[in-house]
Parts: sequence; structure tokens; C-alpha cells
Amino acid sequence: MNYEPVLTARIGVVDPACLHDYEAHGGFQALARAVELGPDRTVAQVEAAKLLGRGGAAFPAGIKWRAVHNAEGPKFVVANADESEPGTFKDRILMEKDPYALIEAVILAGYATGAGKGFIYVRGEYPRAYQRLRQAVARCYEAGYLGKDILGSGHEFHLELRRGAGAYICGEETALFESIEGKRGYPRLKPPFPTEAGLFGRPTLINNVESLVSVLPIVLRGPDWFNSIGPANSPGPKLYSLSGRVRKPGLVEAPMGVTLRELIEAHGGGVSGSGEFQAALVGGAAGTFLGPDQLDTPLDFHSLAKMGAALGSGAVIVFDTSVDMMQVLERIAAFFAHESCGKCYPCQLGTMRQRDIIQRMVAGQGRPGDLQLLRDIGQTMRDASICGLGQTASSAILSAFELQLT
Amino acid sequence: MTSDQTLALEPDQERALQTLMRRYRGRGQSALLPMLHEVQAITGWVDEPTARAVAHTLGIPEIEVHNVLTFYTLFYTEPVGKRVIRVCNDIACVLAGNGELIQRLAEELGVDPETGGTSADSRFTLELHPCLGHCERAPFLMLDEEPMGPVAPDQVPDLLGGVS
Ligand SMILES: Cc1cc2nc3c(=O)[nH]c(=O)nc-3n(C[C@H](O)[C@H](O)[C@H](O)COP(=O)(O)O)c2cc1C
Ligand code: SF4
Ligand code: FES
Repeated sequence: MNYEPVLTARIGVVDPACLHDYEAHGGFQALARAVELGPDRTVAQVEAAKLLGRGGAAFPAGIKWRAVHNAEGPKFVVANADESEPGTFKDRILMEKDPYALIEAVILAGYATGAGKGFIYVRGEYPRAYQRLRQAVARCYEAGYLGKDILGSGHEFHLELRRGAGAYICGEETALFESIEGKRGYPRLKPPFPTEAGLFGRPTLINNVESLVSVLPIVLRGPDWFNSIGPANSPGPKLYSLSGRVRKPGLVEAPMGVTLRELIEAHGGGVSGSGEFQAALVGGAAGTFLGPDQLDTPLDFHSLAKMGAALGSGAVIVFDTSVDMMQVLERIAAFFAHESCGKCYPCQLGTMRQRDIIQRMVAGQGRPGDLQLLRDIGQTMRDASICGLGQTASSAILSAFELQLT
Repeated sequence: MTSDQTLALEPDQERALQTLMRRYRGRGQSALLPMLHEVQAITGWVDEPTARAVAHTLGIPEIEVHNVLTFYTLFYTEPVGKRVIRVCNDIACVLAGNGELIQRLAEELGVDPETGGTSADSRFTLELHPCLGHCERAPFLMLDEEPMGPVAPDQVPDLLGGVS
């Protein structure tokens, strides 16, 4: 518990509107350090830190940074700030309370990869985060952090903000590119991967807000510091969005691998409602449920993957014993049926059938083979869907039946 | 392509729209979402003539504008109330008892609590929304661009009454 927050250190301390305040609290020192190191060694720091992407897929950030750094010609950096995974609010708080940190991180990423232009794609339902960023971008242009010859590096970098418009699927990286290009948010087939052909067909680095912000202390304090926190194969500080039936819901920064029990007891003030823990949904609607026997699971990418679960976005929604879990499953099923973009049939049809089956179970009209049917549908969606939405649309529901929560 | 109805704009709205069109002239498809956001901030929703004007201004086919308008839930091709209330109906807000809040809002506005809708006087549209990313403030809603939460059901009359 004597962990000192790093990613959230400025939150509630600085005035989010004030560039000078940001500078007075360590702002733009990471960028200055990166310019000292040069692009190649900056990328090497990210590689050595073994930073895993915080947006859900846990892909090693260093691999993407290196690939874009090595690519020729015009390229882009994109911050994925579309945060729409149910139960997740960490990126919003970072952007609202410390907007300059994200902007500094995007500029740094542009410098390290050699990209001349960056985008921050902000969820449409986050007007406050968008306004704060907009004001901060204008101040950064005035102060010379954006534009020509940034910090005397000779590098020119421009940053544009974009707003989403209410589509969960646009958080998927290739759908997000389509959306910036002015189209419907339909995911693209991969490969090619964004590092080869991303936004406007150009090599593109896309990272989650928290991933990018994590790079600032990596560059300032060094990869060894980062690796000293949390488990060796999943290191660093992590943001958890804690909500549901806990006494103190909110944003928690903890070393990666904090246990579910610690998160609920020490940070969340314990279970509310009946006071007795029933389950937690980890990773949002695309995540999995953990039951009472799993309270001591470390919440890091590898520990959860080993048990067939996933940390995803780091959302943790807690349920006490008074909650009717079938109602929760009904919401999740309805969510995916609504958000499936319809580009591929396994997901379009699968999410609808899944919803229909759960609805009839809730109505007390479940049929004998229903659970097996849900498993089959889940399997088909996992194997045959184009993107992560369809591939994970059954995971929470099936895990709930597995744990016999219903 | 959209509603049969058309927008009835005040002269100052017309002027704002014309200024906007000049600013976006020839900027191409990538400017489509930003432009539609700005158009809607003036007009509330997008009727067919306006959609055509957007296509023409950016220099892109009308069908592209139609595709985008019908894909994204924050864009409206039908009239909406002067103010839009997006009330969260996702897991954390349900756990925090949002049912009563939605019931109360629906009652005051005379709309269906299951689906939402627009009040008869067109002042408000109520929408039930997936997680709005403020679960630590459940039950949560947004009144246009203003985040509010936690909101208790008996705050509803004040909330609606305080809006011009
Ligand atoms: C349906 C779907 C929704 C997603 N939504 C988000 C999101 O809101 N924010 C995010 O950062 N990543 C989201 N992702 C993951 C992105 O596709 C991508 O992996 C991520 O932006 C990469 O950044 P990272 O490596 O830093 O995590 C989503 C993926 C899928 C399949
Ligand atoms: S898996 Fe679902 S969301 Fe993804 S492309 Fe297919 S239909 Fe669209
Ligand atoms: S569940 Fe309501 S804001 Fe997240």
C-alpha cells in the first residue's frame, strides 16, 4: 500500500487548463529527455520497458514503436481515446484532469517514430475531455511544443483532435481509422497491420491513452524503474476503473498485479449492498467474471490469461450477493447485439441469437439445450468473427455460467 | 434519404451554417465527422437538404454523408428535442438504481421508460445509453454536454425545470 502513484500524480494537483502548472509539475521533461536521447534510443526505452498496451489487447508497445520508426515516408501517430468499454473511465479522467500529459506523450511518440502528424480520437460522449484537450492543444502551439522545430529537435509535428460519434466499434483500431477518414466504422481485415498500412494507408502507431501516458515516466525514470513495478512479464503501474457494489468506486492506480481482494478492500472500501462478494466483471463487457475463489488472483495480463480470463481495459465491476446476475447478462447480451457493426455474419447473427436466448432464460422460458447453444454460438463467434468485438462477445456470459453465478 | 421533415432555422442559425459551410469548403471526406458535429451543434439534427449541402461543400458523394449519418448514434436524421438527455442504462448504473431515475424522467417527459423518446413540447429527448464512462458517478446522465451524477430521482423536476 506504500505505492506512490505516477500516472495520476498530477490529478487533482494541477490546474488542467494551465500549461505553466503542468510545466511546474514535471511537464514536458520527458519530451526534452527524448530529444536528448534521439528517436532511436527513445524507442529502445519503450522496448526495454516491456510496456504492454493498456487498451485491451496487451500487445507489446515497443514492437509497434520500432516498426513505425523503421517505416519510410509519411506516417501517423494516433491516440485511441474512444474509451467505450462498459465500466471503463480511466482515460477520461486522465484527459480531463491532466490533458497536457496525453498531448506531450503523443508529441513524444511522433518524435520517436518520425511521424509528422498525430490524431487524438476522443469518444463523442466525452465533451469535457475534448474541450480540455482542445484548449491545451492551442496553448501548446503558442508555446512551441507543437509546430516546427519542437524543442530545437528540427522535428515538425502537428496534432489534430477528432470526436467520435457514438459507436463502440470505433474503438477497434482499424474502425477508428475509417472513422477519421470520414466513413462508417467498419473494421478492416488484418493484415495489413496498422504499422504497415494504417490511417490513410500509411504506417501508423496507434496506442491507448494510458499506454501513451505510461511512456512519459518510462523515458524520464528509465525502463528499469518500470520493470521494478509489478510482475516481470507484465510490468508497470496500472489504472483500474473500479465500480459497482463497492463503497468507494473510482479510479485506482496500483502496481500491475494488485489482487482483486486488495482492490476491493483496500481501495474500494469493501463490498457494499449485502456486503458479501458474489463476483466481479473484469475487463468490461468483453471481459470475464471472477468468483469468490478467485479473489486472490493478481490482476495482470499474464495471470489472468493463464486462467482463461483477461484484464482488458482494467475495468472492474463488483457484484454483491444480492445482485441477480441473469439481469446483468441480459444487459451484456443486449449491448453486443446493439454494437455489432454487422460487417460479418458470425458476429451479427451470433450476438442477436445470444441476446434472444438470454432474454428467454430471463423470462423463465429457457430450453434444455440453451447453455450448449450459447457455447456453440460463442465458439463460432470466437473462431469466425473479423474483429475483437465478435471474438469476445460471448466471453463474459460463458464465464458466468462456468462459475455458476446464475 | 433522411426524414421527410425539414429544418426550420432562425436567421442567425442560417448565418452560422453559411459561415460553417465556407470554412469547410473543399476539405474532403476526412472532414465529414467534424463538420457534422459542428452542423448539429447549430441545427440539432440533419435534414436532407442540409446533408446534400454538406456533401456539396466537402466535395464528396451524397451517399457518403448518408452512410455516416445513419451509422453513428450521435447523429440525428429525425427531429430531436431542444435538449437531449442521455441517461446511462448500463451495468454500474443499473446497480446504483437507475431504474427509478429513468422512470421519473420518463414520467415527467411523458415518454416510454423502455425506449425513451421526445416530449410532446419538443423540449427534451430522453435516450437510454450504454455505459457513458462515468461509472464512479452512477447513476449518471448527460444533459446535452453537461455530465451529472450521481442523480437522485427527486432531482429530476429541478433538473428539467432549470433548463431554458
Ligand atoms: C470492439 C473493440 C473496441 C475497442 N475499443 C478500444 C477503446 O475504446 N480504447 C482503446 O484504447 N482500445 C480499444 N480497442 C483496442 C484497439 O483495437 C487497439 O488494440 C488499441 O488501440 C491499441 O493500443 P494499445 O496497444 O496501447 O492498447 C478496442 C478493440 C475492439 C476489438
Ligand atoms: S466481429 Fe462484429 S463488430 Fe467486428 S467486424 Fe464483424 S460484425 Fe463488425
Ligand atoms: S455504467 Fe453508467 S456510466 Fe458506466
